Amino acid sequence: MHQAQAIIERVRRVSGAIQQIDIAVDKSQQNIGAGQLFLARTTETLDPYLREPWTPVHREGSSLTIERSSAQSFSPGQVVNLLGPVGKVIPLRESARTLLLIAYESTPVSLLMLAETALAKGIAVALALLGTAIHYPLEALPQEMEVQRGYDYDQWPNQVEMVKWADQIVAVAPPPLDLPYYGRLLDSVKNTRREVAPGYLYGLVQPPMPCGIGACQACLVRCGKDEIPACLDGPAFDVLALTAHLAEGK
Amino acid sequence: MIEITSGKQPLRLANPVIGASGIFGYAGEYAKLIDLSKLGAIVTNAVTLRPRRAATGTRVVPLDSGVLVHTGLPNLGIHQIHRLYATKWKNGPLPFIVHVAATTPEEVGKCVQILDTTEGIVAIEIGLSDQSTHRDAKLMIGAARQNTQLPLLAKLPMFNVTNVSVAAEEAGADALVVAAPPRGTARDPLSGQLVGGRLYGPWLKALGLRAVGAIARHVKIPVIGCGGIHNPDDARDYLEAGAVAVMVDSVAWIRPDMVEIIARNLGGLELTRAIGAMEDEWRPGIGETAVMRAQLLASPPPVVPPPHLPE
Repeated sequence: MHQAQAIIERVRRVSGAIQQIDIAVDKSQQNIGAGQLFLARTTETLDPYLREPWTPVHREGSSLTIERSSAQSFSPGQVVNLLGPVGKVIPLRESARTLLLIAYESTPVSLLMLAETALAKGIAVALALLGTAIHYPLEALPQEMEVQRGYDYDQWPNQVEMVKWADQIVAVAPPPLDLPYYGRLLDSVKNTRREVAPGYLYGLVQPPMPCGIGACQACLVRCGKDEIPACLDGPAFDVLALTAHLAEGK
Repeated sequence: MIEITSGKQPLRLANPVIGASGIFGYAGEYAKLIDLSKLGAIVTNAVTLRPRRAATGTRVVPLDSGVLVHTGLPNLGIHQIHRLYATKWKNGPLPFIVHVAATTPEEVGKCVQILDTTEGIVAIEIGLSDQSTHRDAKLMIGAARQNTQLPLLAKLPMFNVTNVSVAAEEAGADALVVAAPPRGTARDPLSGQLVGGRLYGPWLKALGLRAVGAIARHVKIPVIGCGGIHNPDDARDYLEAGAVAVMVDSVAWIRPDMVEIIARNLGGLELTRAIGAMEDEWRPGIGETAVMRAQLLASPPPVVPPPHLPE
């Protein structure tokens, strides 16, 4: 965890809605892993007040690619202040040969570096874009990845086959939809597979993180009896743990 | 050393800049980012007698130039927190002040009793709720006073300071912290619901300065200013308004390095900035571009003279 400056090297428009910016980052922040993020300040003013979460989608040496809305304005040479890496790397099962990623009502940005890591290891990756995520431009995705799109959270082509096919599933949904969705997803996966082992189904929980170092306690996530800061131990949580207290209440 | 409070056990700190409660965790979490030893002390997050869970629903709502935060004061309870952090408080890089959330006088008394003899704890801060009356404040601070000789700080609610400050002083508080972040309500853009919580932002400074100025004239005990401090000038304004020390809060989220800069400025430890120096060459812990630039300058390409100079 460091606070350091980074320099925007290149800005390119991927589609009408999103742009990708390449940033040169400090040595202390180059080892960022899949799912980890930076808390970024792009301005010296206090509006916006909190830092923006920046999740890299690609890493190459000291350069990271970040995806942002094209409504924001960036220019090469611009200096940004980064705090991070925040959180832990999304765990990838050693035995996994197939990986299913699900983005529900959210861009798949938080999953793309994981996809890149998995593809580099020879793992077959499929991505389901659900709800408003179907509008995400396919040209921003790795070509080796199979993509399915569906309007409903629980309906997409070949859903049963894909869940059966996957050795591991990682899903992302934005707050406040995240926990209810992960609960429904777990039920759905349980209907398809007889048993859901720990470490099989992960959900990303990404609430606003004011401090990023586990001090302010604004991003605590309930996992069974414990409350865990998402900025330290997230963003990936085992959905079994996330829903454990709900199961106890049933 | 600066004497913040007098009395049987005076509170003496090396620096008048203190980390406010609710921001810096329990035992120097910010040591990863800044040199905490430059601060006078840190006030821990809130502790209560019994464990408390985090608030459900939205906890953070971004505002124009500010933020609304509602954590619900989650904590493991004084017994567990004491077990986990007593050693860290004792061996920490700076003194700690424990923030006890005022629930009932009995609970406050029990919490304070546990903390009374803990090494590394130099004072106890009692956080009075927004609804505290003159009587409530007297009971809470009185219960704490009966159970400790440590310096007692009373953190006052922003919109009730005048009434409560006199009660806290009468009940035995050694200093007043003016003030806790006020409560507000805002619409969460994600859920579309109205959410209540504490407000943080630079605009709180105007309210805080007004309150400090008013209270400093009303009471005989020292006043510590808190609210909206985002740079050294803000902190100095509080001292000019009558505070003996300041507490910095949400600036740590915005610019963690600024906490250290404020502490260095008020503690006479400011680094001198050379003319033409890049920002990261003089601000602590901001990166290595200066090092990289120095390496580049240290090894310029060798100048090779042409083999035959023209006549």
